Amino acid sequence: MQDTLQTLVSGLSLGAVYALVAMGFSLVYRTMGLVNFAHADIAMIGAYAASTFYLTAKLPFAVAMVTAIVVTGAIGLVIERVLRPLENKDFDLMLIGTIGFGIVLQAVAILIWGTTGRAVPSPLHAAPLDIFGIRVRTYDLLVMAVAAIAVVALAFFLSRTKRGAAMQAVAMDHEAATAVGINVGRSNALAFAIGAGLAALAGGLVGPMLYVDASLGGALGIKGFAAAMLGGFGSIQGAVVGGVAIGVLDSYAAGHFQGYSVLVTFLVFTVAIMIRPTGIFGERTVSRA
Amino acid sequence: MSRISQPSAPRTLLAAAIAVAAALTACSAPGDSGKSGGSSSGPIKIAVIDARSGQLSSLGNWEYKGAKLAVDEWNKKGGINGRKIQLKSFDDQGDPTTGTNLARKISSEKYIAMIGTSESAVTIAMAPVLKQEGIPNITSGQSDGLVALKSDFLFLNGPTSTTYDSTLAKYLVQDKGYKKIAMITNNGSYGTGEHDAFSKAVKDLGVTPVSDQVVTTDQKDFSAALTKIRANKPQVVFIGSEEVEAGLIVKQARDLGIAAPFAGAAPQGTPVFIDTAGKAAAEGTIVSSPYLSNDVSPAARKFAAAYKAAYGEDAELHGAKAYDGTSILLTALKNSNVATGKKLADAIRSTTYDGLLGQFQYGTNGVGITKTSIGVIKSGALVEQK
Repeated sequence: MQDTLQTLVSGLSLGAVYALVAMGFSLVYRTMGLVNFAHADIAMIGAYAASTFYLTAKLPFAVAMVTAIVVTGAIGLVIERVLRPLENKDFDLMLIGTIGFGIVLQAVAILIWGTTGRAVPSPLHAAPLDIFGIRVRTYDLLVMAVAAIAVVALAFFLSRTKRGAAMQAVAMDHEAATAVGINVGRSNALAFAIGAGLAALAGGLVGPMLYVDASLGGALGIKGFAAAMLGGFGSIQGAVVGGVAIGVLDSYAAGHFQGYSVLVTFLVFTVAIMIRPTGIFGERTVSRA
Repeated sequence: MSRISQPSAPRTLLAAAIAVAAALTACSAPGDSGKSGGSSSGPIKIAVIDARSGQLSSLGNWEYKGAKLAVDEWNKKGGINGRKIQLKSFDDQGDPTTGTNLARKISSEKYIAMIGTSESAVTIAMAPVLKQEGIPNITSGQSDGLVALKSDFLFLNGPTSTTYDSTLAKYLVQDKGYKKIAMITNNGSYGTGEHDAFSKAVKDLGVTPVSDQVVTTDQKDFSAALTKIRANKPQVVFIGSEEVEAGLIVKQARDLGIAAPFAGAAPQGTPVFIDTAGKAAAEGTIVSSPYLSNDVSPAARKFAAAYKAAYGEDAELHGAKAYDGTSILLTALKNSNVATGKKLADAIRSTTYDGLLGQFQYGTNGVGITKTSIGVIKSGALVEQK
């Protein structure tokens, strides 16, 4: 019992991070119909940026995170600007373009930060809480709290603000949105920037939990992508549920199947997707080019 | 959102070009039998193949630096038979597939010997190609799987996992009297080797591990495995994984409230392990290593000083191993008048060498040294236990 709960706790905190990554994937997908394959590498850049501002520039962790989010948000804007001429013209090229950007970002990370990577010490020095024999890292609680705030803030933005409503409109029908005077390009840019910011948030938060190096994107991206699929691609609440589900599933698989944990996680994922191809909250399947 | 793509002319052309290129490479590969690589004049070409990017790159960088230091010293003395030694580094990214491709590449580019890799899995993947092409290889890997290959062209520059772990098991069980030992190893080539060697070593001493957890090589969260270990209340936890992963395991174990010391082989003695785990978490880690510090001998002090002068950082085990391995190769080249292929492999086998790790004397299994010492990490540095 104690084992089960302890595993759940660690699954939840990583699940919160996967949820943030999945939200970024979904936000860009619903707005532009595009899977941003550079997303995970933007998260990696975010993790590096946050750790650099925190460890090297000695800024407080919160300030370092905000700075990292701004920097990566700007990178998101640049990617969107470069890809914009292809919008609604050649979708395949846009997709390849995002993959290319991912590779470029990895190379840039190696150029700037080297190949070895770094371990980031936890910004909270409080000892882990001991609740009936279950150890809860205070940092894990912080991660879950920040992720929850990000989810609420994004939901509020999308449903209650004019910009957010415009983005929803573009997501539904970009031609009709253009007709009523919504600037689709700006809306797409905003989606990309927010997506990149979410990626940086996920990357920055995960740094002290894992290990920051140029391949971090791979670890986050595949599970974040799976989380988005599981929840229903394009759905924000789906991303949250999918992220937590993948995190917890992964945690239990690691406990029971040890070396075969990744295999088991993705087998379960595949079966779930076969039963419900649209994901938990999805309304449409991912369109095949 | 209908997107219909039809194959256009340029795309067909591209496909054709790729097909032709593939056909050409396929034809050239078997022709390159190159059993006796180099020519008898010009520089002596030696390849270093290691992970120079990714999570294992610190290993690769150390190995390259150690090898380079040995080659530079020999070149300063005038090379071998008046010929300069040319050392070139290739990045295998810690990936067996990339490594195998590089093995073919160095063969076609007429390299006569190879230093590396520091990853047992990659070396095992490359070994058949190197054997076929007749390129002797001195690896930093230590998995017993390397010995099991029975390749005449494969040599280890250090002890095998069995040596590391039987020394460690003896210290833990006999000297320390630990009865409750937990294990956490990864399912990669190195981790599996450590798992088998250590569990056999403790079982031979009459102790069965109370917990035996296996994780994957790219896992980052170990809560599940560590929670199970914690439930068994071990007196010591054995780790069989590379530097970074071992560091993460120790860091997370301390967060989960595991206070028992950790024990392991070479990776746990490195600065990367200590940095990743954090100084406080790594305190008291018991390490079995053939090269505990730069102060073990006058030769080690000299090596450490040269290393520091060349790279501005402190030398450690992997650099020392690569330095020894490369020095053995160069000695064998000198003794054999720059032989290649089988003759060079035989020359390495008959070379005795007094190195930083100890006295090297190769057997038929490619292992040259069978002794390690025990050290304990105290305030961030490895201290020998007598």
